[in-house]
Amino acid sequence: MILDAHGHVGPWPDFLIPHPAAEHLVAAMDRIGVTAMGISHLLAVGPDAVRGNAMALEIAGRFPGRFGVWQVYNPHHRTPLAREGAPGLWGVKLHPDVHQCRLDDPLYEPVWRTGLPVLAHGQTDSPWSDPAQFVTVAARHPHVPLLMGHTGLWPYGFGRAARLVADHPNVFLETCGSKMTGRWIARLAALAGAERVLFGSDACFLDLRTGYGRVALAPLADADRALIQGGNLARLLGLPLPDLPGSSGSPEKGNPA
Amino acid sequence: MPKYVIDAHRLIGPVPFDDLPADPRGEMDRLGIDRALVTHTLSLYSDPGAGNEALLALGDPRLVPVPVVVPGETGEDLPGVRMVRLCPERHRFDLTGPATLRCLSALGLPAAIDLDETSPAQLRHLAERLPGQRVLVLNPGYRRLRALGELMDAAPNVWAEIGTVNTQGGVEWLAARFGAERLVFGTGAPVADDCGPRFLLDHLDLPAEDVERIASGSLEALL
Repeated sequence: MILDAHGHVGPWPDFLIPHPAAEHLVAAMDRIGVTAMGISHLLAVGPDAVRGNAMALEIAGRFPGRFGVWQVYNPHHRTPLAREGAPGLWGVKLHPDVHQCRLDDPLYEPVWRTGLPVLAHGQTDSPWSDPAQFVTVAARHPHVPLLMGHTGLWPYGFGRAARLVADHPNVFLETCGSKMTGRWIARLAALAGAERVLFGSDACFLDLRTGYGRVALAPLADADRALIQGGNLARLLGLPLPDLPGSSGSPEKGNPA
Repeated sequence: MPKYVIDAHRLIGPVPFDDLPADPRGEMDRLGIDRALVTHTLSLYSDPGAGNEALLALGDPRLVPVPVVVPGETGEDLPGVRMVRLCPERHRFDLTGPATLRCLSALGLPAAIDLDETSPAQLRHLAERLPGQRVLVLNPGYRRLRALGELMDAAPNVWAEIGTVNTQGGVEWLAARFGAERLVFGTGAPVADDCGPRFLLDHLDLPAEDVERIASGSLEALL
């Protein structure tokens, strides 16, 4: 089972995305065997979280089991959030850099109170989302699963990101980004433990095939690859774990795709 | 899956900022890459001449040398070389200045240039000044897809490396506009990733003959 922790739909103003639609993503997922992808709509990351979140939930409903939704919370607009158990919901997406609001800002308190898993953009040396801020919020909210998007984005910071969160087991290192390599995914598994590393592609922003290829062809043991490409996220979201050695196949908490 | 794969963009040697494999052959074997065009890291991070000397001494037919040329300094006698690399930003020279134009004319070889070392406008200017010059754009990335397309439209002797064309469907978008014969498999490894681009090559939504072109045929035609 391959689960993509970090995906998007929709256009983005910064550059051309030839295939921003969910239909194309499903075709690409089918081609390489990705079961499901967690998405936020790029409109929601941008100026209209309410409308973008509704569009993402509509897509998840249209393709049952293929998309989970990371509903975007804009701290300036105090976006209304669906609670745990909402159909198709995986958690909350934060983008401190786009929203220009530090990850450790109190404006995010409503997010942590939901108890939902949180996927946040992480960017080494950013004033908004440096990995040190993940440590701060992970210590404040140790029961909230927190995915560090991009593991800090820049290769020079990957090792530091892994070291910083070593004592915060609720933080997971999500691996999408144009500077990530298969070599670094294997290094992160060695540094942090494969159980703390999650596959994400950033598709449609980035190409799903390139993103998954980094995991598929990374120099990893098969058991570690199985954890990274789906096992860890399935456990975190409470999805069945059919492919994992020693798994009972039972969800640990209810939050189906 | 393509029968024969050539990576048009690889490095050999150590880099100063990371602990990466200095010899590409182990990863090439693991990933099913038959040959690679390689530049020595000494040429990028130290002395271009010393790097070229080490590169040309490799003597392995799997590793096709791509020496780095600094116009007016590194010499124009490069026996057996099929492509050179230019680093106008790193080595601080003018890509369309008289020294470079004179050097490229004398060499008569294709030139590989990282887009981060120049700009689409500079490359278009180069193509206007030397219309017969073949250029392989390394590391075009995904954020400048529109500008890359405009360049390839204006300059028919420009090819693009696909390893960093990394937005959803970006390679197919280029192939639809310019043909797979203008696209070349390359990675920039080990600094850049080779696993993702190698997987992408096997899963392109293109006819098999176009995938073969991208895997090796387009590069062979370029050279």
